[in-house]
Amino acid sequence: MTDLLRILIAPLVWLAAFISVYALHGLLCALQMHGMVLGIPLERLSLVTAYGLAILMQIVLLLAVYRGWPLAPSSEFVRFVSRVTGWTGLMATIWSLLPVMMTTSC
Amino acid sequence: MALISCEGSTSTLQSAGPSAKIIADLWWMMFIGAALIFVLMMMLLALAFRTRPQEQATAGHGRRDIRIWILSFGLGFPVTVLLTLLIYALVIGERLLPRDDPDTVNVGALAQRWTWTFSYRDAPGLRTKDTLHIPAGRPVDVEISSADVIHSFWVPRLAGKLDAIPGRVNVLRIEADKPGSYQGLSAEFAGTGYDDFGFTVTAHDPAGWAAFIGGDAP
Amino acid sequence: MRALTRHRKLSAIWASEEGFKGWFSTVNHNDLGRMFLMTAFLFFLVGGLLAMLIRAQLATPHSAFAGPDIYNQIFTMHGTIMMFLFAIPTFEGLAIYLLPKMLGTRDLAFPRLTAYGYWCYVFGGAMLLVSMLLGIAPDGGWFMYPPLTGALYSKGINTDFWLIGITFVEISAIAAAVEITVSILKFRAPGMTLARMPIFGWYALITSLMILTGFPPLILGSILLEVERAFGFPFFQAELGGDSLLWQHLFWLFGHPEVYIIFLPAAGVVSTILPVMCRTSLLGYGWIVASMVALAFLSFGLWVHHMFATGIPHMGLAFFSAASTLVAIPTSVQVFAWIGTMWKGRPELHLPMLHIIGFFVTFIIGGLTGVMVAVVPFDWQAHDTAFVTAHLHYVLFGGFVFPMLAGIYYWLPHVSGRKRFFHLGELGFWLIFIGFHVTFLAMHWVGLLGQRRRISTYAPEDGWTQINLISSVGSFVLAIGIAIVMLDIILHALAQRKTRRNPWRAGTLEWAMLLPPPAYNFASLPEVTGRAPLGDDPKLANALARGEGYLGTPRNGWRETLMVDVASGRPEVLVLFPTNTQLPIAMSAVTGLFFLSLLIKVYWVTPLALAGVAALAWRWIWQGGRKNDLAPQTVRPGCDLPHSTAVDRAPGWWGSLFLLIANGTFLGSLLFGFAFLWTIAPGWPPPAWVDASAIEVGAGLLAAGTSATAIRAATRANDAGRPVLPALSIALTATLAMTFCCAALLWRTPAPTEHAYGATLFVLGSYGLFHTLLAVLMVVHLITRVLLGYTSVARRAEFPIIRLWLDYIAMIVALILLIGHMAGWFA
Repeated sequence: MTDLLRILIAPLVWLAAFISVYALHGLLCALQMHGMVLGIPLERLSLVTAYGLAILMQIVLLLAVYRGWPLAPSSEFVRFVSRVTGWTGLMATIWSLLPVMMTTSC
Repeated sequence: MALISCEGSTSTLQSAGPSAKIIADLWWMMFIGAALIFVLMMMLLALAFRTRPQEQATAGHGRRDIRIWILSFGLGFPVTVLLTLLIYALVIGERLLPRDDPDTVNVGALAQRWTWTFSYRDAPGLRTKDTLHIPAGRPVDVEISSADVIHSFWVPRLAGKLDAIPGRVNVLRIEADKPGSYQGLSAEFAGTGYDDFGFTVTAHDPAGWAAFIGGDAP
Repeated sequence: MRALTRHRKLSAIWASEEGFKGWFSTVNHNDLGRMFLMTAFLFFLVGGLLAMLIRAQLATPHSAFAGPDIYNQIFTMHGTIMMFLFAIPTFEGLAIYLLPKMLGTRDLAFPRLTAYGYWCYVFGGAMLLVSMLLGIAPDGGWFMYPPLTGALYSKGINTDFWLIGITFVEISAIAAAVEITVSILKFRAPGMTLARMPIFGWYALITSLMILTGFPPLILGSILLEVERAFGFPFFQAELGGDSLLWQHLFWLFGHPEVYIIFLPAAGVVSTILPVMCRTSLLGYGWIVASMVALAFLSFGLWVHHMFATGIPHMGLAFFSAASTLVAIPTSVQVFAWIGTMWKGRPELHLPMLHIIGFFVTFIIGGLTGVMVAVVPFDWQAHDTAFVTAHLHYVLFGGFVFPMLAGIYYWLPHVSGRKRFFHLGELGFWLIFIGFHVTFLAMHWVGLLGQRRRISTYAPEDGWTQINLISSVGSFVLAIGIAIVMLDIILHALAQRKTRRNPWRAGTLEWAMLLPPPAYNFASLPEVTGRAPLGDDPKLANALARGEGYLGTPRNGWRETLMVDVASGRPEVLVLFPTNTQLPIAMSAVTGLFFLSLLIKVYWVTPLALAGVAALAWRWIWQGGRKNDLAPQTVRPGCDLPHSTAVDRAPGWWGSLFLLIANGTFLGSLLFGFAFLWTIAPGWPPPAWVDASAIEVGAGLLAAGTSATAIRAATRANDAGRPVLPALSIALTATLAMTFCCAALLWRTPAPTEHAYGATLFVLGSYGLFHTLLAVLMVVHLITRVLLGYTSVARRAEFPIIRLWLDYIAMIVALILLIGHMAGWFA
């Protein structure tokens, strides 16, 4: 089971982050939070922060997968697949949340 | 009830407004790209059947095969194509949004089985049924809503569609390049009667629009 | 013991009852897999017939073939049948039939559950067929958008048939998914590590996990809409705090993963057959496993792309547009891995290969148009037009039907033990291939010309006449092709030419047995040392028949198999399967009575049916018990294993774990719905909030904590041989207290018919109440077991199972009470 978790964890965290950012965006639009912080609109700032956090989380996970933390994988196969899914999680986070940088929020 | 009828084409490719034009161009670009990719893949598929010397076919070139098929074709190729397409699409999508523009005309569209009722901010109290009047050459923001079930406001030659949802108001930007009459459709299945549920958009020249708003027409 | 004697003994133990009586009492995956596939194929024919009616209607303008009322039923039922009664059950049937054989074991983890799922599918499907025969079939389109499907605009019983019938059928999907997941993880041949698993096993595992997390939102949506229709709870009514978009979110939260739930097993078939047809091994096994994991997860982040035209802000759409383009990448990895496999081997054009070529051509086009509709601006034009209809048929027919046809022809000799005699299949393929593309290629175009989906007719002036006519002609060619394939299969079943073993020279274990397969699959279980056991040792079948593997000696009339460690495949536990029983069909009949009572609104029957289900479930679980300890049994010289009642992780624990994952997703969807309505829906705040009580929340939290602690204490006491009843009595008191707190929350909920707030809270409270009652029943069950001597220090397996459930229930009760009462405090 830990092997299975190791394989699934990065995409799972991607899914959680993706849905959270979408929910955050929906919430910001619904509450109509306006205002500026450091010359940046509040909603853009919080979305971009969330984007950064999600990427950071994936990098940490990827490191963990490479280091075999907390438990070493039981086989070479699991090591390989978990590395690929780890990269998938990072790529998917960067790719799918890219719109926070590019599009109008509400 | 507005019968879907003679004069209006409903082709998304015979664009008559900036939004529909952008989308039609997008379609042709994607169509050509997709056709090229399809041909490439069919060639790769067909070449797999060519006869080869026995040893070449069975000898494993594990790493080389992975590099060519998985890393280059499987990953590299679609990443390049799709990332380009995605960024292009996001930029286009932004351009189609209703932006502040002093020239904009605001109208309302309320769907109810089986009538579209249109209202005009420039002429409060004015209502038209099943025909929406707009000025040609000016951006029009249509505030779309529904009084019963979900419908969808769609004028294929002018712009994409947007749903009419009870309890909500959605805003769609449309614009007609030239005066004329354009076929509109409701594009969300709404029960028996859906076949013929549509409307007409009449785009006026400035004089005609002024007359309409002034109450002379229709 | 000679191989023939062993065969006779095992057959006697594993055989189902003679004749058609055996259908109702069999729990064997061989029978049930075939029954699933046959039933699914019948539904495919019905769905296909409806498709023909649709094309007949659209062939000419101003068609008077069917009026719009009937036509709406036809297209709704076409989509519904193909999605729910054909595609998913076909996967289930295929996996049920093949998996134990591929994994080198004798049956699936829960044989009675296989049968229960099958009968739920048959009864639920029959409900929908009856509605069609009576002319009162669902008519709101297969995705059933409210308010159109609400009580106000769909007054008849039509919609109820859909909501209740499909929910009934989904029980079978959940049952099969739990079963398949546990079987793949725990019921493999010894030595079959994750890396040695046949690739189809991976596809089935991922698909099942997706069903467990993808179907609950649909089941929730259906329940909510039915409750709205029957009792007036306004979940989807904007004027009372509901929102019709909530349905769309819930439906597509299921609906998009559904597409991949359908595609992945078919891809598994391709990955299995293609290397055999090319006389090579699959290129990039690890890459394919990784890419299907990626695909599975990404598919849960796409649902809003069905809602691009609903007015969601552009950034929201852009997330899903990005994710939708992204999902093409793991698909592309798989497609190119297959093409690479062909390049690396020597492809032979047998009939299954022809269908795989058909799959490639069709599915690639479907994938390319899929990328197009993932682009938001283009989708604004293409959405709800024939373009989308064409796209989805390319994906589903290309991505499912062609691979399944390949699979049928590949495994036909396995099922029948016969060779194909008349070669009609090739003609059938070409007719299907040409017919399909003639039907649907042009449909893209007519969609761009503005033909909306679901219209029952059009005018000649629209300019769509010729394209529609061509399309209809193509569909009839397609139908003739399907008929020829059917004829081919019937002739095959009649022709008496025995096939040789392993006719395709495949490497997977399902060919290492007698053909057609005996009820017990393997006379002894193999020790697996590589990914292609039969390729490495072509004489494996004989060795297994001679009893050279595990469990080679039939004994005590036991249906025996092994449970193994998830990762390493090391044998761990001896499992004794239940034998033939009519309990599953009886239980699904009573389950059907429950759904029927809701459908025809005879509500006094409902609690009786529920009590009946509970009683039968009790009996079901009771049958697994033993009154005496069973010493570890020798499964192979030098290897003794404990029986499954004498371990901490029995099959029931694993099954419960995955059922709870589905259950948790259901609750998660409900909480999402609550949050969605609260923040997004128009018409909030509600007129009245819950009258919150800190005492009840405190008591509930205390009871939840106590129940979790008490069941732990009971487990420890049992392990140490101390009396367990004191701890279990505390657990019982705690579960009763939780029941009281949930009932009190329901009591405090403002009138659920007046606002969506009260309605949602009521459902949340009912969910809690249902589970606390379940907890009470479970603890009572365990106490009865202890009193009657069914437990001992060794026979401890039920304690961890009940503990797992109580932990879950304690957690959700705490959550529900906090969320429920919190609303009152904040407001």
